[in-house]
Amino acid sequence: MAVPNHVKKTVKNTFLYTIVTLALVWALLPIVWMVMSSVKTEAGMFSMPPKFFFKPNFETFKFMFSEEGNFFSFLSNSVIASVLSTIISLVLGTLGGFALARGNFKNEKALSFWIISTRMAPIPAVILPLYLMFSNLGLIGTMPGLLFAYTTFNLPFALWMMMVFFKEVPQALEEAAMIDGCSRFQAFWRIALPPVAPGLVATGILCLMFSWNDFMFASVFSGHDTQTVPVAASLLITQNGIAWGQAMATGTVIITPMVIAGLAVRKYLVQGLSMGAVK
Amino acid sequence: MRTNAEYSKLKDSNQTNYKKEKSTSFLNLLNIKKYKTEHWMILPSIIILAIISIFPFLYLIYASFMDFMISSDQPTFNGITNWKKVLINDTFWASWGRTLIFAVVGLLLEVMIGVGIALAIYELPKGRNLVVTLWMIPIFVAPIVAGLLGRFLLNSTYGLYAWLLSLVGIDVQILGDVKTALAAVILMDVWEWTPLITMIVLAGLQSLPKEPLEAAQVDGANYMQRLIKVVFPLVSRTILVALLIRSMDILRFVDTIKITTEGGPADSTKVIGFYLMEVAFKFQDFGAAAALGLTMLFATIFLGKQFVNFMTKGDE
Amino acid sequence: MKRDILFKIIVFLAIISMVLTACSSTSSTNSQKPSDTKAKNAENINTEVQVDAPFDGWVEGLPKITAPEGFDWKQFEGVELNVITENTPPSSALAANINLFEDVTGIKVNIEQSDLGTVVEKTSLDFNAKSAKYHVIYADPYQILAKHSQHFVDLNAFIDEKTMPAIPGGLEDFIPSQLEVNGYMGDTEALYALPYDNPTMVLAYRKDVFEKYKDEFMADKGFDWTPGPNLTWEQYYEAAKWITEKAAAGEITEVKYGAGHQAKQHDSLMNDYSNILAGYGGDYFEDTELGAVGKSNPGKSAMTSDAAKKSAELYKKIIDVSAPGSTSWDWSGLGEGFAAGDIAMAPEWHEFSSMFENPDSSKVVGKVSWASLPKGDVRQAHSYGGTGIGINKYGTDEEKKAAWLFLVWATSPQAQYMILKSEVGGSTPTRHSVYDIEEVQKGMQAGTEESKQMPNLLPMKVTLEAWKEENVYMRPKVPQWPQIDTFIFTELSKMLADQQTPEETVEEIAKQSDQATGN
Repeated sequence: MAVPNHVKKTVKNTFLYTIVTLALVWALLPIVWMVMSSVKTEAGMFSMPPKFFFKPNFETFKFMFSEEGNFFSFLSNSVIASVLSTIISLVLGTLGGFALARGNFKNEKALSFWIISTRMAPIPAVILPLYLMFSNLGLIGTMPGLLFAYTTFNLPFALWMMMVFFKEVPQALEEAAMIDGCSRFQAFWRIALPPVAPGLVATGILCLMFSWNDFMFASVFSGHDTQTVPVAASLLITQNGIAWGQAMATGTVIITPMVIAGLAVRKYLVQGLSMGAVK
Repeated sequence: MRTNAEYSKLKDSNQTNYKKEKSTSFLNLLNIKKYKTEHWMILPSIIILAIISIFPFLYLIYASFMDFMISSDQPTFNGITNWKKVLINDTFWASWGRTLIFAVVGLLLEVMIGVGIALAIYELPKGRNLVVTLWMIPIFVAPIVAGLLGRFLLNSTYGLYAWLLSLVGIDVQILGDVKTALAAVILMDVWEWTPLITMIVLAGLQSLPKEPLEAAQVDGANYMQRLIKVVFPLVSRTILVALLIRSMDILRFVDTIKITTEGGPADSTKVIGFYLMEVAFKFQDFGAAAALGLTMLFATIFLGKQFVNFMTKGDE
Repeated sequence: MKRDILFKIIVFLAIISMVLTACSSTSSTNSQKPSDTKAKNAENINTEVQVDAPFDGWVEGLPKITAPEGFDWKQFEGVELNVITENTPPSSALAANINLFEDVTGIKVNIEQSDLGTVVEKTSLDFNAKSAKYHVIYADPYQILAKHSQHFVDLNAFIDEKTMPAIPGGLEDFIPSQLEVNGYMGDTEALYALPYDNPTMVLAYRKDVFEKYKDEFMADKGFDWTPGPNLTWEQYYEAAKWITEKAAAGEITEVKYGAGHQAKQHDSLMNDYSNILAGYGGDYFEDTELGAVGKSNPGKSAMTSDAAKKSAELYKKIIDVSAPGSTSWDWSGLGEGFAAGDIAMAPEWHEFSSMFENPDSSKVVGKVSWASLPKGDVRQAHSYGGTGIGINKYGTDEEKKAAWLFLVWATSPQAQYMILKSEVGGSTPTRHSVYDIEEVQKGMQAGTEESKQMPNLLPMKVTLEAWKEENVYMRPKVPQWPQIDTFIFTELSKMLADQQTPEETVEEIAKQSDQATGN
């Protein structure tokens, strides 16, 4: 019994779209529900059965961004710390990653493994020594301290990623450029860097995400004036219960910029990941 | 320490001399053949990484032999007590067991669903970009938000998911029942990270040369055969890389568990990372936490070593 | 090859700086110089005469904040104080009104609020580093004070210093049992903290349900089920079971379950169980003197006692007929469940009253009554969970003095009254004098205007009763407590999940406890 080709195709497509739709519901329902809850009244948020249609109410956001809610300061701390730490990690990571890829260090394997291993330490165990160090350097509760803390996990990551990306780029062009009179650094800057741009963007966005989302370091190393948005979210878990309205609104604020940034560079992210991971 | 005279001698020496000199220098640690631009490029990174890794590592070793539990200003030496406390302890091994379950089940689900969705998206005739865009959103959700969301959705009083489950007649306390709590926590991880696997696999699929697929088609191989023979070998490496990165992270990150179940009920979600947090911050037993942290570090390094070996195998 | 040398020097410097960092952190024993507690210009201060502090809006009938004549309230102008505290109502209220203090003293106060776990974590890191990043510390008696008392300033140094402001109303104005448990550790030589908040467990119940079905229950079971000092835990169990069954059968529609508990694997589970354990005359250690000032070595566990076994069995029975959500709820989950109208009775911290009376988040406004907890064979026992605030001894003298001014203000009857009235606060005072004023007395009566303004006063009548020595339960105050607490609630959680019997549970707790304390 032969099934006509177009029937087969329709069946297949229906099947595919069903799977994809189910997957999207699974992935997005929590987020949609969070955003919806953030614009509900408190009573509406807890109503059973849940309400899917309601008049949005922006009081929570208004409160958060009022002077009393003080949310701008959390937000600006988060932006400053994560953007600067991403830039630092990218700059150092690109230079170092290139060096690792081209440097012919004798114990290159050991060196690069040591670099990635600095990101493996279990955080609760290393917090005490890091705290002692930071407190001796006067960094606790300061913005440089937070930057430094974020760099501890972003830099090894950036170094490693960039090393992998640079290894993908053939060396011949650089060598040719150097014969033509370019310095080593110029060869790096003009010849080797442009092809890894997608990788750079992918690394950057992941670094940004790690630091933007970080809670463990931020909660310990930030002070009254340097608390970030994830810390603000944790402050909503109070002795008398969780302020769910604000928690949902804060969650919305935390994920929005990352989602926008991530989606804006989606193309590069995919390209970058395929560069690094697929040979 | 070198004297100035030695330094100037070094300066005047030619390349061969210099090489000999170098083998006794402490810089040999870095095993640098000759000083090139590259060394200057990596130096700042190495200094920063050295600062953040060497002292904490040495301190962990030191702390693992000290008693922080006494009521005095300074910890005192207590031999291998901390190590005994950690290693001869049911909770420690049970937590490792749970971590293993968490990692194996979680990663298995992530790979199966992730690859499945990637293939489905790859075959989609239309709307591929839109689907990928929407599907990858959970990756960007902060773990603390994922935890809060999990707690909100699964709450038996007003949670959306609890309500949906009760509609189909499943009336369990998801986070309060030993049978479901671990599954729920694993599913939160799966929710957040499956899209990453999909992305990587999809990237792999898209970069595949068209020829082998078409060649296989001409051979008359069916879809499954094509998958197994052509696609999987090409993306398996990718998947393994993703897996190793994820498994190292699973050991480290416990934000979601901290917000939702705090290890309970009946310890059913106490993974090793959360146990470490409990010893370090709840018990404030930094000595035992250091010993525990070192065991975790060794485990992670072992995992990482496999990962690197695998990564570099193809290079040579 | 100049670059070689430069390169080496840089690496060398990096290593040296690392070693220095490492050394300084391990060898920086703080020189314990005796703290200077005198006010500036002490010679111009007349300690014989007390003058009111320049705060506005004194409340009649409460002791005022005073200082000796000639004391300059602005002498610490420019000092910046970091306060770390749990995210509790009094802290929110102080943070909202901190300008009152800042305007008078010129001291800048940063109040940092986190959940208790984070407070414990940051405090212990700060003490270990001796860095005094936080000057004023929320000294939870069990998780912080018992373990870290050696890092706090002995406040007697300030109390005895006549040139500094005194504690308004004196130490006698604090509730004595609270001063003992929050302020001291080991003995009453040194005072480390002043009582700051005082949540205590009492029974919240739905008076609509209990009135409506009273006769039916009486006919069925033969006793009056109205919660109060005469109800026993067995009767509580009977009542909870009865309501849960009737609700399941659809005969009771007001609620879904007879009782709700905070039985998540969490500190809350230990507190919840302690009410019953102590009611049956049990305790966690053989030494019965650990609740008040505490001890550094608690001695042997008493969890193998008959009282412990019996209470564990009863607790398991109770949870089995309670709202099934109980095993996933800590105190806030329970509070939300009760406020949603699902539960007929719940042992809960008295300060949740404001949540139950808040029409935005509660469906049970006006339907809640408060009673003392049921009694066991031996007595009634109410778990107490209050905390004090103290001063980090690693700060500079000036910071410590400024911190003292803050303590005086924050724990004063005037500030406690302000906290009680505050919209963001609403916690209950730690001072006798505040409870004596008429407005507060009225607030304790249901239905009065004052009780609507200050809903946390509604449970105060039973709470004041619960604070009496014979009715309160103070858990052991020992440095090992955070660990032992974890053993207790973990093993109890296993019991509730049917992984072990009550008998195995108490024996396991005893075993682990003795291991941890070395007994």
